[in-house]
Amino acid sequence: MTLFLQLIVEGLVIGSIYSLVALGYTMVYGIIELINFAHGDIFMMGTLVSLFMVTNVFHLTDVSKMSLGGMLVMLIVTCLASIVICALLGVLIERIAYRPLRNAPRLAPLISAIGVSLALEDIAKAIIGPNPVAAPYLVPLVHYSIGSVDITNTDIIVLVVALVLMVGLQWLVTSTRIGRAMRAVAQDREAAALMGVNVDRVIAITFLIGAGIAGAGGFVFLLSTNNTVFNIGFELGLFAFTAAVLGGIGNLVGAMLGGLVIGLIRALVTYIPDRDLPFGLPHGGVAWQDAVVFAILILILVFRPTGLLGQQLAEKV
Amino acid sequence: MAMLVPSQILPQTGETRRLLLKWVIAFLVPVLVFTLVWSGEAILNAALLAIFLPSSFSIAAIAAGLFMLLFYGIIMGLTGYLVAADSGRQSLLDLWISMFFFTVVPILLIYITANLFVGLAASVVVWAFYYYGRRLVRRFRPPAPLPPLPSLKVLDAEMRATLLTRARLGSFWFALSFSLIWLLADLLFYFTGQYGQASLVFLVWILLRSVLLPVAGWLLGSLGGLVAIRHAVPANGNGSNGDRAGAPVSTRRLRLLSATRAREEARDLVPNDLPLRSTGARNFYLLLLLALLVFYPMIDPFLFGPGTDSRLDNYGNAGYYVILALGLNIVVGFAGLLDLGYVAFFVIGAYTWAMVGSPQLTVLTGIHINPDIWPWLFWPMLIVAALIAALWGVLLGAPTLRLRGDYLAIVTLGFGEIIPIVVQNLDKYTNGTNGLTGIYSPAFFGVHWNVSTSEPYYYLILVLIAIVLLANLRLRDSRIGRAWIAMREDEIAAAASGINLTRTKLLAFAAGAFFSGIAGAYYAAKLSTVTSGNFSFSDSVIYLAMVVLGGLGSIPGVVVGALAVYAVNVLVLPQLDALGNDPSSIIYPIYTHILQVIPNFSFSNIRNLIFGIILVVLMIFRPEGLIPSTRRRHELHHTEAEGAEITSLDTPPGAPGFESEMRVE
Repeated sequence: MTLFLQLIVEGLVIGSIYSLVALGYTMVYGIIELINFAHGDIFMMGTLVSLFMVTNVFHLTDVSKMSLGGMLVMLIVTCLASIVICALLGVLIERIAYRPLRNAPRLAPLISAIGVSLALEDIAKAIIGPNPVAAPYLVPLVHYSIGSVDITNTDIIVLVVALVLMVGLQWLVTSTRIGRAMRAVAQDREAAALMGVNVDRVIAITFLIGAGIAGAGGFVFLLSTNNTVFNIGFELGLFAFTAAVLGGIGNLVGAMLGGLVIGLIRALVTYIPDRDLPFGLPHGGVAWQDAVVFAILILILVFRPTGLLGQQLAEKV
Repeated sequence: MAMLVPSQILPQTGETRRLLLKWVIAFLVPVLVFTLVWSGEAILNAALLAIFLPSSFSIAAIAAGLFMLLFYGIIMGLTGYLVAADSGRQSLLDLWISMFFFTVVPILLIYITANLFVGLAASVVVWAFYYYGRRLVRRFRPPAPLPPLPSLKVLDAEMRATLLTRARLGSFWFALSFSLIWLLADLLFYFTGQYGQASLVFLVWILLRSVLLPVAGWLLGSLGGLVAIRHAVPANGNGSNGDRAGAPVSTRRLRLLSATRAREEARDLVPNDLPLRSTGARNFYLLLLLALLVFYPMIDPFLFGPGTDSRLDNYGNAGYYVILALGLNIVVGFAGLLDLGYVAFFVIGAYTWAMVGSPQLTVLTGIHINPDIWPWLFWPMLIVAALIAALWGVLLGAPTLRLRGDYLAIVTLGFGEIIPIVVQNLDKYTNGTNGLTGIYSPAFFGVHWNVSTSEPYYYLILVLIAIVLLANLRLRDSRIGRAWIAMREDEIAAAASGINLTRTKLLAFAAGAFFSGIAGAYYAAKLSTVTSGNFSFSDSVIYLAMVVLGGLGSIPGVVVGALAVYAVNVLVLPQLDALGNDPSSIIYPIYTHILQVIPNFSFSNIRNLIFGIILVVLMIFRPEGLIPSTRRRHELHHTEAEGAEITSLDTPPGAPGFESEMRVE
């Protein structure tokens, strides 16, 4: 039981990171119906920027020797730098690789997105090399025990940051002028343009926000796992995409929920110990962790393509 | 209405001389460069030595000599055809310049670099500059447009005889001038004593050759002429009604075709403004290519020196990329279903043969098979592997039928990720991450197969590619192929036209997976080991890059795309790395500078960056690929082509404006 609860906590933490990345997928898909393959790699770039900030700008070696104020400054500056750089990267990618293809056949921007994703991964590989890179601890690790469950302060930071960003985004989309413009463009691009919405600008802002959140996700990921690798974006991006689909792509609340569910499933699958399973399937949950997520992805797309919270849209002729 | 008059369009006698001069010189230069500068002559001499000196007997050398005879024969036939088929309206100099760039330049570059792919890559760079320069020249000095032909060229019997004579003359003069120059060069060699011990044999051969070549030219010229006549429209006034046997393109048929189709057919008519691009000429190229591919292992040592085995090995690997690209082209190119998990079927094919064709079979089932018979199982298992892969294609396809393009892509991606995980986790059967080793090579009568001999694999993949290519061509032009293309264009419209979407989609998945299974089984047999870690999403993306680069839906395109991607991936990038690490090379300083900034840099490490950029740039600037299919090019550039579109069938071939329309590229 202890293990079970512990896994739930772990699942919620990693799941909230999936949620942050899933938000970007779902926003972009909602507005231009494009699976932004490069989004996961923007998240990866966020981890790299954070890593660069703490090691090369703040020259962090041992966080326990830092003053509390210094540490807070470092965390906030690193997080902001990651958000800003990722946001700009997102806008740049949209400008170069997607905007020229706005009216192209449907597959063209998707292939272009795959190209961007490959390019970003190789750039990262050229910078940090093919192996995982360890980062120093960004905060001194403190363990709290609630009952028998162990929670660290990084877990709490991740959850809080994720919650704040999600609530902020929800507010932005539902209650501000730009949020209204985004919803208008998502509903009908041409009608929105006729109503005086600058469609290109709104799309660029969508990318800006989505990529910025992914940058924050990259920061909290580095904070909680203390390492990164050049292809983390592809893998985590796929899980996040699955989360977005699970929640109903185009739906912000759905993406948040989906991320948590995927995180929980991935964590709980490891609960199955490594022994012979029925049907001669060897190995316990850990070995099948990724396969389970992809299986969920396929099952949802096949049986309920609209996801948990999505609405049915008729295909346009 | 078009005037279909027997016309005096055939160029006059003086023109014949000009035609002869044009084509003889156009071909003489590259053939001479190949024969005298590169290794044409060396191959023939080696063949002669092999025949007349028992000490240097080798079947390979004789086969190489045979290829050279074929080569000269095909070139002579082609010259004859071109002289007959040319309308003589394009300028002499243009042809010579472009012949220089497209034949002499690659021959010289490959000869200098002594590496087929590096030479070709360099040629591509030169061609890019050539195209750019030509465009600049044309912008400042636009060529006078050719006046449209007044009517369709109908040739009566007399004119056909003229064509035939002209073809004979063309080939004859080409052979004569070639043999004379060759004779002079060889006599020079001979009297400077370069031939050594077998000099008498060579002298006799040289003299014999000089007599035989023009005769052969005369005969082969008539062959070329006959090919040309087949594409000429016969006059049907003299008693015979309409379709005459041996005239595949009759005026009656042309009238029945749609304007677009008629334009395509008319590209092959004789006389023709661009004879090098006509179907007749293309048949000669295909013949030449076929001869080259079949005889390649024998002539390779003469062309590139030692190291044939490793080169053949590379081509054997490039071959399964071609099969994969052709298979993926069915799914993505024809049917328009973006498949990002294509590697899954490849894995299934590879593991099928790996589990049956290795000691793992005994481990799993306890069956013992005679090791003499075991390798023979490869042939049935090749089909079985393909069928199993196809079955999985259907199993994957079935649940995805309702999904639209991008969702489908994600499902296939998920599938492509799951299969390697499954293979890895079923280590009871597949040996997990350690992979399976000791996989048998195929067996064939009297052929010595093992992992270190690449020649049998070269021929095996050649045969496999030929079969897959034929299947692809037949599929594309079949009812189901047209259904795929219709579905790609618009699913709803296709369904409304009576296409069963379920069946059509499943067939596309099955066909694509089938070919991938073939490639997989070949891969397992060639490498003799498979490991689950060798297959990943990035492989699927590389297959996709091959198809997109070559041109979605274009069969010649994807073959070229596969070879190009393989060459960049495996040959050019490591070559660049080797050059960069070599202190005497040109790029060494640049390379060290990059290394100072990025310590982990190597060209092989940035291959995905290169492919990524290629994908983005292609999608933006040339979504139809390098060698697009006609249909797709029209589709993607229909706004530009619309101005030139003939809107009704009232302008059949031969009407004013038709010829100029034809040249719109």
